[in-house]
Amino acid sequence: MDDLIQLVCAYQKTAELDERTQIAESIFRVVEPKMSFFVFNSVRPSAADDVLQEVLIGILKSLQSFSGTTEGEFLKWCHGVARHKIHDQYHTQKNERFQPLPPEEITELVDLSATVTPLATGEWLDLAYAMKLLAESKPECVEYLLKHFITGLDYGEIAEELKVNYDAARMKIGRCLETVRELVA
Amino acid sequence: MPREPKQAEAALQKLGQRVRAGWAKKHPISERSLATVRTTVREVWEQQEKERRAKLFSPKIPPPPKKKGKDKDKGRGHEPEI
Repeated sequence: MDDLIQLVCAYQKTAELDERTQIAESIFRVVEPKMSFFVFNSVRPSAADDVLQEVLIGILKSLQSFSGTTEGEFLKWCHGVARHKIHDQYHTQKNERFQPLPPEEITELVDLSATVTPLATGEWLDLAYAMKLLAESKPECVEYLLKHFITGLDYGEIAEELKVNYDAARMKIGRCLETVRELVA
Repeated sequence: MPREPKQAEAALQKLGQRVRAGWAKKHPISERSLATVRTTVREVWEQQEKERRAKLFSPKIPPPPKKKGKDKDKGRGHEPEI
């Protein structure tokens, strides 16, 4: 069983407040950066931190009811809570919601990740190719590609978020990727 | 010559992993978030304790017997009382 899920199970079983607090801190040291990435790429920066706090509260208040068995299921569930919080608070400000990561920030984050796990030989070429794919994508494709490949959402989550059906999301991502792949030859 | 579709997909997935790892390095959990976690854990725990105690010390009253609904037999051949 994944470490994260073991922590969630331990949290659900523990009745002691101090122990529960310690376990929750361990869970959120992993989950909070993932949720902050999701939130900061969904709402305007000035509001993102407040929304993030609402997301953390929402996750904690429902944590006892989570019944999945894998880390993937847990993160998907957390993304669901985050999506609802973002929707609850910002559905009236649609034009302010999607904030694509600027290319220079993507490069900076890749460099930072390399300080933790050095890049393998040839990996930089692949990453540069991927960045070129994103840079050359049509504007209507960028949101789909970023959400799927960079934020790490699956087709179902994207479909729910962008209010389209599953197949439409899957086909859109496939078409966007195919078009830009031909372009970046 | 364009790369294979699978290669393009794999490159983007690799970029995603790197970007998320970089973000986690750049933005570790903040003090504000840690405080939110501690406060919320306490609030949830207090609420559960309150409910547990209320359940423990509440007098055991047997549930009321199920009423034989006066509407139960309504239907065909049962005219409503006027």
